[in-house]
Amino acid sequence: MKVITLNATVTESNDRDAARVRARMKRSGTLLINLMSSPGAGKTTLLSRLITDMRDERIGVMEADIDSDVDAERIAALGAKSIQAHTGGMCHMDAGMTEAALDALEGDEGDLIFLENVGNLICPAEYDTGAGLNMMILSVPEGDDKPLKYPLMFKESAALVISKLDALPYFDFSVEKCSERAEKLNPAIKIFPVSAKTGEGMEELENWLRERLADWRRN
Amino acid sequence: MKIEVFETKERVLADNESAARETRALMRERGTLLINLMGSPGAGKTSVLSRVIPALGEFRIGVMEADVDSDVDAKTVAALGARVIQLHTGGLCHMDADMTRRGLDRMGIDGLDAVFLENIGNLVCPAEFEIGADLRMTVLSVPEGDDKPLKYPLMFTIADLVAVNKLDTAPIFDFDLAAFKARVLALNPKAEIIPISAKTGEGCAELASFLRSLIEKRRRGE
Ligand SMILES: Nc1nc2c(ncn2[C@@H]2O[C@H](COP(=O)(O)OP(=O)(O)O)[C@@H](O)[C@H]2O)c(=O)[nH]1
Ligand SMILES: Nc1nc2c(ncn2[C@@H]2O[C@H](COP(=O)(O)OP(=O)(O)O)[C@@H](O)[C@H]2O)c(=O)[nH]1
Ligand SMILES: [Mg+2]
Ligand SMILES: [Mg+2]
Repeated sequence: MKVITLNATVTESNDRDAARVRARMKRSGTLLINLMSSPGAGKTTLLSRLITDMRDERIGVMEADIDSDVDAERIAALGAKSIQAHTGGMCHMDAGMTEAALDALEGDEGDLIFLENVGNLICPAEYDTGAGLNMMILSVPEGDDKPLKYPLMFKESAALVISKLDALPYFDFSVEKCSERAEKLNPAIKIFPVSAKTGEGMEELENWLRERLADWRRN
Repeated sequence: MKIEVFETKERVLADNESAARETRALMRERGTLLINLMGSPGAGKTSVLSRVIPALGEFRIGVMEADVDSDVDAKTVAALGARVIQLHTGGLCHMDADMTRRGLDRMGIDGLDAVFLENIGNLVCPAEFEIGADLRMTVLSVPEGDDKPLKYPLMFTIADLVAVNKLDTAPIFDFDLAAFKARVLALNPKAEIIPISAKTGEGCAELASFLRSLIEKRRRGE
């Protein structure tokens, strides 16, 4: 497994780095998606499903973690291009780090490139990575009150995936209440309730991602 | 030309450490046990408090709820009869020793046997900042997966006590408790690991008695 260690990039402006990353991905017609959530919400499991289901798209994954390479190995085992990036203790990825990870992955050759950000509902929301799309996961076991406590993440995401739907019988989670709270923060947010385990709801999400890729290439 | 290099993070952590030492001395002097309760968002920190506070009914307990926003947890905990204060970090991803001290002063610890700080839901930043606690307690829940010590090693290295919560959901998750324990102990051989379900109450008596013995010790001035 290719493991790269990223250093906090010292640049004048993360916004400038992010704009450079976005322009680069626009040129190559590759949609970069920044996937954010709490630790263990199901980012790697969701990506595994997408890779298995969307065989017609070339999917690559950049796994960002403080330590270990277990997730990059899981993705590689599915035959997708992946690298593991270590953030050196940092709680998020910034645009400069994302650019270095893209170089290591050769991420310009692909249709959809996912950045699995560090598991954290706070810090990643504050940094533009240069992605064309921000997507977040909230899993049923975390509770439907999370939009109240971590509002910025919900504001910054174009899509909210409510995952582990098969766990609903164990929790007093209301998909409706959670959706209302998210929409109050971000009226344009697209919400996809899914179970990456049973496959429920995956098709809607996959179709939407295909549309986003087509849009990215058109505009 | 000689350029001055100022290691800002080291200095911040060093200043934090000295504030934490002061808090630790104060808590000892006042006979109050301070517990830093950490975990991912939704791991079950507030639910665990809802179990543990009634089980420790013989003691007077204070809770500081730290959040970026909202006061839903403070309301839940106040309903249990604990002394409560809600702290808003204004977007910050962790509590530090100075913020903790301000919270303690504001809430007042007179007559309290133990104070829990429910830290911000996050497995990264809170692990880096000592608050001056006597016990670092991390809640990790079954739905998060058994690989978390591999990815967030610092959190599990500094934890004195790990409560493995939501044990009742084991039937639908592939959580390997033995593998999880081995990963924590490899980082931190002295860690106490207690599996619980805050929903069914399983393991909560054992958790409460572990805390009880620490609170009693502190009351005796240890
Ligand atoms: N029951 C169930 N478990 C899931 C689902 N998605 C993920 N998991 C489990 O949740 C845990 C964490 O998942 P993972 O993908 O590693 O989360 P990440 O840390 O966000 O990448 C693992 O034990 C997964 O098997 C789901 O839809 N249903
Ligand atoms: N099934 C089950 N759900 C739990 C358990 N502990 C907490 N929960 C649920 O998990 C969600 C998050 O709990 P909460 O205590 O708010 O987590 P916090 O964010 O860490 O304080 C809520 O919906 C709780 O009802 C448990 O042991 N079993
Ligand atoms: Mg993962
Ligand atoms: Mg809470």
